[in-house]
Amino acid sequence: MAPDRAGPAAGRDLSKPHHLPNLRPGREPPDKSWLQGQRRGTTPQMIGRYPDFDVLASSASWDEATTKVVLARLHLADQFRFFAAGELATLRAFCDVTVAQDGEPRVPVPEMIDAKLAAGRLDGYQYDGMPDDRDAWHLVLTGLDEVAEDRYGQPTFAACDADAREAIVGDLARAQLSGGSWEQLNVKRAWSVCMRMILAAFYSHPWAWNEIGFGGPAYPRGYMRLGPVSTLEPFESAGATSEDPARIDAGDGA
Amino acid sequence: MIRSLLKGAIGPRDNDSRFLLDVHRRDLPGEDTMCRYGDADEVDMCIVGAGAGGSVLAQRLARAGWRIVIIEAGPFWHPDEDWVSDEAGSHDLYWTQKRIIGGADPIELGKNNSGRGVGGSMVHYAGYCPRFHPSDFRTASVDGVGADWPISYDELRPHYEMVERELPVAGQDWPWGFPHKYPFSPHPVSEAASVLWRGAIARGIKMRVGPVGIVNGTFGNRPHCIYRGWCLQGCKVNAKASPYVTHLPDALAHRVEIRAGCMAARIEIGPGGRASGVTYIREDEHAERMQRARFVAVAGYSIETPRLLLNSASRCFPHGLCNNEDQVGRYEMVQGATQSAGRFATELRMYKAPPPQVSSEDFYETDASRGFARGFSIQTVSPQPIGWAEHVLADGHWGRALREYMRDYNHWTTVGVLNELLPHPDNRVTLAAETDPYGLPVARFDYTLGGNDKANMAYSATVIKDLLDAAGAQDVLTIQRFAHLVGGARMGTSPDNSVVDANQRTWAVPNLFVADGSVCPTQGSANPALTIMALASRLAGRITSGAAMTRADR
Repeated sequence: MAPDRAGPAAGRDLSKPHHLPNLRPGREPPDKSWLQGQRRGTTPQMIGRYPDFDVLASSASWDEATTKVVLARLHLADQFRFFAAGELATLRAFCDVTVAQDGEPRVPVPEMIDAKLAAGRLDGYQYDGMPDDRDAWHLVLTGLDEVAEDRYGQPTFAACDADAREAIVGDLARAQLSGGSWEQLNVKRAWSVCMRMILAAFYSHPWAWNEIGFGGPAYPRGYMRLGPVSTLEPFESAGATSEDPARIDAGDGA
Repeated sequence: MIRSLLKGAIGPRDNDSRFLLDVHRRDLPGEDTMCRYGDADEVDMCIVGAGAGGSVLAQRLARAGWRIVIIEAGPFWHPDEDWVSDEAGSHDLYWTQKRIIGGADPIELGKNNSGRGVGGSMVHYAGYCPRFHPSDFRTASVDGVGADWPISYDELRPHYEMVERELPVAGQDWPWGFPHKYPFSPHPVSEAASVLWRGAIARGIKMRVGPVGIVNGTFGNRPHCIYRGWCLQGCKVNAKASPYVTHLPDALAHRVEIRAGCMAARIEIGPGGRASGVTYIREDEHAERMQRARFVAVAGYSIETPRLLLNSASRCFPHGLCNNEDQVGRYEMVQGATQSAGRFATELRMYKAPPPQVSSEDFYETDASRGFARGFSIQTVSPQPIGWAEHVLADGHWGRALREYMRDYNHWTTVGVLNELLPHPDNRVTLAAETDPYGLPVARFDYTLGGNDKANMAYSATVIKDLLDAAGAQDVLTIQRFAHLVGGARMGTSPDNSVVDANQRTWAVPNLFVADGSVCPTQGSANPALTIMALASRLAGRITSGAAMTRADR
């Protein structure tokens, strides 16, 4: 399928930026239907821009230490050691909303965060006026449940419908939550504590690399195509979508 | 003339590290046969920290016959097994023990600016190795801001040249500051960086390739760079310079002991007010030990060096060692490091090739028309997926919008600035109420920007935005952040304005030196690694010549 990989049609599809949220009304991305389903390998929710790219197909070229660390993310234990059983539904719902994982297959973000917090692998700084990151996570989950009850009469954040969850997380992102557990936190910092852990988990997973077309580990083999003629390695493939972004721009996307 | 004819082939004298490395293994040669000293054996010098400063000082003094122990809190790396070609998997390279950050503009630490382990932060620095400008040493006199150093650029220049040959630094002839050449030719430039360069050319901004401490040619057993772009995760190739490959192999060959996994708890002061050694705790036993030494040098970088001094309080120094004048931990500095990414029609795949490629110092010096003192540099960078996600988040995106920007990753390229932010006495490291697993109080770092700092940062952000527009960027995302650390135990002209003198010897204790970036009174808009190494190299020369010693110690 070499002609498809770097063919002119694929390049033209994505040359325009119409799909980027900052350039769209309400900073909203287009509906995911403009993306192609994954044909090779796995991506989160099987959507992406590189339908024929599977980074794991090149794992035989990675060094042993890297291979071990990356492949371990595909086989995580589903036993939670840090979070209590009663926190898991809200934890899962929160992680799903923040990185828009609305279906299977999912990157196991909650499991990855639990493993990191249980091992005490923190980031090396704690904002003045904030509790330890581990305590901050418990407080955020409790706080989300409190908002769900106060605003929507639901017993937990997880019990809210999708729109309510989005609204609550939006307020957290804008640091507009207060009362209850939020009084023990600097809400802006709490969002940052949670998000840097969620993003580090999600984008360390090879399925997410497939979605964004990232070439992945490169040792002992390096890269040869730095441009300008091409930036594609033989094992990489160019982006593609199922729809003309110009039509997305015309307003049928969001 | 002779040097330019020999370009690419000239090597440093008095440092055999490049020949001592094994072509087929990344382990530090000599670990198994390393000299071991007893705690009670009074060595010539005990150095705290095996990073840029401590390693260079140890290598130089060991060549002069000194018996040296380096105490290092972090691990003795075995890169083939310990380092990975993976962002999240590189967590252990960073100082991730707790620190408290406060002030109006708290500075994030950890992976951003703090290393741990043999080789220090240079194991995961990008590789940029610019010199400071001559003006950096006289900002109070020339620009009316900051501080004058008690030494001049000329005193550091031979050490810049020496260290550049040892790393070795590759780059174009450098037109800014004190114009100079580099021992190795510039590396090829990726398309992602070339796009930015075109924008700079369109705006009349002069850019140059490099300077980076990355091998570009034949250099002993150090291989040529393979352009994989994983500089920030520890170079598994051995192409990128860090003390682990540039100075510690030679140090071990000259009877230096690196005692890794040992946390320095305090510096002991004996009778006569002299340092008698360093008390430390091995991570596997938790009992205190003390290494006796004739001289002590602290090289724990700008957070841990002040912390160690403050944790070394005694009857003579009730507020912390060398802190009777209330100077320890003050004038802590970071650089503004705003990054803007631009979207382009074609795939650029910025993750290929080392992040440090092309840079500009056109805006380095004061220009009164800009409305603030001092300036900034411009450098290409290239975040990998997790870094890119943090960049997108900083623009306010999460959920579906964030995923959309992330899927667009391959169409983006990133340019950053380094703003010179001015030293201020209240930007300071103190001790927090919390303690670490050893029971030692952790550091607290308060930081607040001044008016000149904010004006500099705001102006520089418009310059790189303009550069991206000129390059034809279709969308721009910006993240405001900070990078690098210096200060906290600065050098000066008297005990009431500094912690150490022009020889980096503490005013208060005659046989105690500070040998890291803590001593810098200003930091310019240059990445600090090369200057920290050059300062340590100069210090070693002053120690062996006796110039840095009291009469009794000569």
